[in-house]
Amino acid sequence: MSFFELVNCYPEGSSSASRMALAARSLGYGGIIIFSRDPEKIFMPGAAEKVKGIEVAFGVEASASSPRALKSRISSLRSRYPFVAVQGSSDEVIRMASEDPNVDLLIHPCDSRRPLGIATARAASSNQVSIGFDLYPMIHLRGNRRARWMEALRRNLELIRKFHIRPAITAGAATHLDLRSPRELMALAEVAGFEPDEAREALCQPSRILELNRRRWAGPGVEIL
Amino acid sequence: MIFELESEDTSGLIQARDLMNEIASSQFSLFGDEGAAKNRLRLISFDGRIGLIRFSHLHLNETRATLAAVHSIRGIRAAIRTKGVSGTIKSAREKYLPRLVKLSYESDGRRIERKDISGCIIRTHGVKVDLCPDDRYKSAGSEAQFMGLTSLDLCGGHEDADGTADGL
Repeated sequence: MSFFELVNCYPEGSSSASRMALAARSLGYGGIIIFSRDPEKIFMPGAAEKVKGIEVAFGVEASASSPRALKSRISSLRSRYPFVAVQGSSDEVIRMASEDPNVDLLIHPCDSRRPLGIATARAASSNQVSIGFDLYPMIHLRGNRRARWMEALRRNLELIRKFHIRPAITAGAATHLDLRSPRELMALAEVAGFEPDEAREALCQPSRILELNRRRWAGPGVEIL
Repeated sequence: MIFELESEDTSGLIQARDLMNEIASSQFSLFGDEGAAKNRLRLISFDGRIGLIRFSHLHLNETRATLAAVHSIRGIRAAIRTKGVSGTIKSAREKYLPRLVKLSYESDGRRIERKDISGCIIRTHGVKVDLCPDDRYKSAGSEAQFMGLTSLDLCGGHEDADGTADGL
């Protein structure tokens, strides 16, 4: 299982998809998942697929004005994209995403005022929703704010371990300068509170999700070969 | 540890002292005075792009995390890419420096004109292109000054352009 990184490209970030793919390849990634709120608007997605030696997949970040609208949007996007992520912007969105088996990854904000709840963790575990941790604050924040963020992350990790949820980690890159190599990301994750094996598995989790979603499933547990 | 500094600096503003200040600040912020005292981090050499840093071999992961947490130097967006780790300074130079000296940036004065992106090319390196967009809000979300593109993005650009086959 190779390391995969989740990236935002132009117009949501400031590097093109192919530049991200080149940078990720030189850092040692096996692939990248380019996810965007509107994947149709990604600048030159075909150019990224021309970059040799790295797998490029396109995912979607589902967003809507209300949790109910988000649920119907996720259902409509599921068949079109191999990777569906949800940004946990509010408690309602986090709860809804954890209860929807169509969601692959719920990116939790790690806010000390809004920790991961037991009900949410249990729902995510039973619906096989991975919880993603964006390490962007670990790189870009300093001092008290980073300490608070790390405290919230450690508390969330306790629940992740208790309910056997598979976490994922990402650097939340919006430009090629935000990308970090897998070893650096694992080192940052270990400082933040991950165990070494957990950090390695968390970096492989997006590729595991992609592989599962690319197989043809007739129903839960039934695969068409 | 041999590392390469990738940054938006075009005029050599980043000096070894600025880099070491930023690394030390990152280390103190992550591990505090006690952690910094245990890991005796020293910058041995830095030529503006490639550098060599010495640290206690017991604190490899901490050093990686320290370097990974550096995101800007003197307000210029930057990233430190670790190239390799070795037991002695001599072997680190022998193993990792010969491959790196081939790389070089060239300055550029050309423009890109497309309906969705336009601006001046700051530099090219292989197929990588750094672009200063005419519309500064294009790169505002990531605090970056320049946009990162490749020549693969630019093939089939503006039809009036007298560009080359790589689209520039």
